[in-house]
Amino acid sequence: MRQEYHPLAWLAWATAAAAIALMTLNPLYLTLLALAVLANYRVISLRSPTARQWGAFLKAGLLIWAITIPFNALMSHHGRYVLFRLPANWPLVGGAITLEAIAYGFARGLSLVLLLMIFATFNSAVDTARLLRRMPAFLYLAGMITSIALAFVPQMISALQEIREAQRVRGHRFRTIRDLLPLIMPLLTTGLERAIQLAESMEARGFGGSAASISRSLNYILKGMTLAGLLALLAGMFARSYWSRQAWIGILLSAGGLLLMTAAFWVQGRRVRRSRYRHELWLSRDTLMVACGAAAAAGILIARALNRAALFYYPYPPYSVWPAFDWRLGLLYALFMAPAWLLPPARAAQPKQLPLPR
Amino acid sequence: MIHFRRVSYWYPESQEPVLRDVSLDIEEGEFVLVIGPSGSGKSTLLRCINGMIPHFYGGTFAGTVRVAGLDPVELGPKGMAHLVGFVLQDPEAQFVVDTVEDELAFAMENQGLSITLMRKRIEEVLDQLSIAHLRHRRISSLSGGEKQHVAIASVLTLQPKVLVLDEPTSQLDPQAAEEVLTVLQKLNEDLGLTILLSEHRLERVAQYADRILWVPAPGQPPALGAPAEILAQVDLTPPLITLAKVLKWQPLPLTIKQARPFARRAGLVREPSLQDEETLLRRRPANSAPQDSLAVDMRDVWYTYPGTDQPALRGIHLQVAEGEFVALMGRNGSGKSTLLKHLIGLLQPQRGQVLVAGHDTRRHSVEELARWVGYVPQNPGALLFQDTLRQELEFTLRNHGLAPRDDSALIRALGLEPHLERYPRDLSVGERQRAALAAILVVEPQVILLDEPTRGLDYPQKRSLAGFLKGQKAQGRTIIMSTHDVELVAECADRVVILGEGEVIVDGPARKVMTSSMIFSSQVNKLLRDDRFLTVEDVLAGMPPAEVTP
Repeated sequence: MRQEYHPLAWLAWATAAAAIALMTLNPLYLTLLALAVLANYRVISLRSPTARQWGAFLKAGLLIWAITIPFNALMSHHGRYVLFRLPANWPLVGGAITLEAIAYGFARGLSLVLLLMIFATFNSAVDTARLLRRMPAFLYLAGMITSIALAFVPQMISALQEIREAQRVRGHRFRTIRDLLPLIMPLLTTGLERAIQLAESMEARGFGGSAASISRSLNYILKGMTLAGLLALLAGMFARSYWSRQAWIGILLSAGGLLLMTAAFWVQGRRVRRSRYRHELWLSRDTLMVACGAAAAAGILIARALNRAALFYYPYPPYSVWPAFDWRLGLLYALFMAPAWLLPPARAAQPKQLPLPR
Repeated sequence: MIHFRRVSYWYPESQEPVLRDVSLDIEEGEFVLVIGPSGSGKSTLLRCINGMIPHFYGGTFAGTVRVAGLDPVELGPKGMAHLVGFVLQDPEAQFVVDTVEDELAFAMENQGLSITLMRKRIEEVLDQLSIAHLRHRRISSLSGGEKQHVAIASVLTLQPKVLVLDEPTSQLDPQAAEEVLTVLQKLNEDLGLTILLSEHRLERVAQYADRILWVPAPGQPPALGAPAEILAQVDLTPPLITLAKVLKWQPLPLTIKQARPFARRAGLVREPSLQDEETLLRRRPANSAPQDSLAVDMRDVWYTYPGTDQPALRGIHLQVAEGEFVALMGRNGSGKSTLLKHLIGLLQPQRGQVLVAGHDTRRHSVEELARWVGYVPQNPGALLFQDTLRQELEFTLRNHGLAPRDDSALIRALGLEPHLERYPRDLSVGERQRAALAAILVVEPQVILLDEPTRGLDYPQKRSLAGFLKGQKAQGRTIIMSTHDVELVAECADRVVILGEGEVIVDGPARKVMTSSMIFSSQVNKLLRDDRFLTVEDVLAGMPPAEVTP
């Protein structure tokens, strides 16, 4: 599977786009950004085998949006532009239906859909498992575990289906939570049995084999460090919520914990002697794509720093329901379309393999 | 290449050794077939070769093992990885990543090989196993046979000298299994790879093997020798070899080709004519049974899985009378499982009608239908979850609102008396299969549906399953099973229905259908081409007693 862009380029693009999407509620800018992201999604989904799943995910997002708008209009009755009135004696929904309320629902919903779209585009474009395996050496083990877990999910879903059928043909009816036991128990044992086989198969292929051996005492020290780090991190989180006055105690604890854990992982990672098969090439268009995303994000941030109100939008009085628009800012939002622009014309996606009934 | 000297091994917390004083020598480039009943210690023996035993499983180990001069007990599986490739039974559970190419790279990444070397080896292995077309595919989208090809490829990238495979084909259908075995034979011939393969399907591999290692039971000394010599000692063998042993054909023939001259000399071979095949196909399926005694009545059933374009069933007409034993055959994806699921209501026809014991499946829930129809799914592991087998049976009865009843006859018929209080998941494959049967059949359904009941079973287990099913039929039950196992069909079924692309291609009496078919016929039938003879028993029954001395 050839990837159109380097995964790290996609990561940079998605981070920039998501950060920018969170900074405004201005429906014009949001729409512009949404169109740019949609263009990328369209281009990518033609080439990605996983895009189909994300299509359904996006549809769910659109549905939520479609519900948000009337919901907000019925619940919020502020505003100058009254479209019509519902009888005041209707509970909750009674009163003025205003343009402001509709605009607010539209903008809120759009910003949510936009985030989903960025997420879907990123996931269709990048093989997550492969990205995880690109973890720096000291996080290698964590990345490996996560990628195995991801590969396990589709297997477990099909096992679940099989078990559900098997229990139904025994006359079992799933009505209450307790009835789930015959579903969960075989699933757990099946998962465990498979995990043991997988461990065997990995070990037989030399997994973790060429790590330089370490002394027993260093091993204990490393384990102790990891544990202490984890505890400090948790204690820090608790401390922050309990003594909000002295926030620095919590922050210090958390930071210390993170540092300890990173150090332990780093020492362990140094022992792993292994090579990587995948080396995605960083092409000039990757640089261009990242440059476009970075330029757009930087430009928008600068505009905001110069004029605090540049991105501000709030439809209810005393502010205006009509969003402001600056064409220079608009151009910057449109720059997020770069990935779709820079690609050569798409080939048609290969027909998806149909699952055969077993 | 591989040398065992007085090797003994005890699993943790076990008093009796699985291996006791095992000594054996395997030369470089040999193809050794490892046979023996389930649970006899085949897997244990194979796992000593790469150090998985004792490193992964613990326990007590005695004696010495040497593989190409190295000591697996000292080095462990990681240290042996470059020398011994190990492939496991379950094609579902041995993959680390989701893309074929990355999976092939995994072992090499662990050894820290350079990218250029990895590229070269991956190209070579893809061509060696002829799976270049799979390289970009996701592993979850592959068939079982393709997965096993990838599993073999993923250990070959390290260019091991020894390849060890633990029942790699037991979860595959015959065609896929045959492809995997052909690949192994090619690797052995072309690369001189030493191969140890444990396998139940002797009829497929016996002729490729240089020697056979027979592991009779835990703690018993294994025997290593030429195929014909070992097979002459073993009691449960493929029908062809059983027949040859009974008729005292020497030297023992391992293939149809080798056996035919003997059969011809004995005057047993018959030449079927084209007419036989034509008459079979012209004859309409038996429709004479009166409507009220039909166990199953499918009328013009169509079904398409959601999200697919091709119908999985296209206008199926199938009528099964009470007390019939029908075998559904056909390649993978031909609609066998889909058809069975219609008979229990798990799937409902999009067009047409399905009546089971007179009940329309659209008017009843699966849970209600399960009172009359027992459906045994392919994987017994999906079913069993209680602490003991007895609780499993009570669970099914309770689901149907029935009081605990005397089920000792069923338990005895399945040979499960010793296991009633055991944890079902600890049972062997064959016992698990029977436990699942008991858990379904305890409500005494009139119709029994079986989906691939012999998957993963060895000869004795198949034999006992066949005996049990014949007993159920004798009690008047209707049985419909989907299977690839021609020998089981030859032994039990009255009628064979062959599906292709969701349609009924052939429907007729088992003897007629099997005799006129090239693939769907039993070994004995392939040898003799006579519709009177499907099994060894048929041949012996038709012979004057003087010639037979079992």
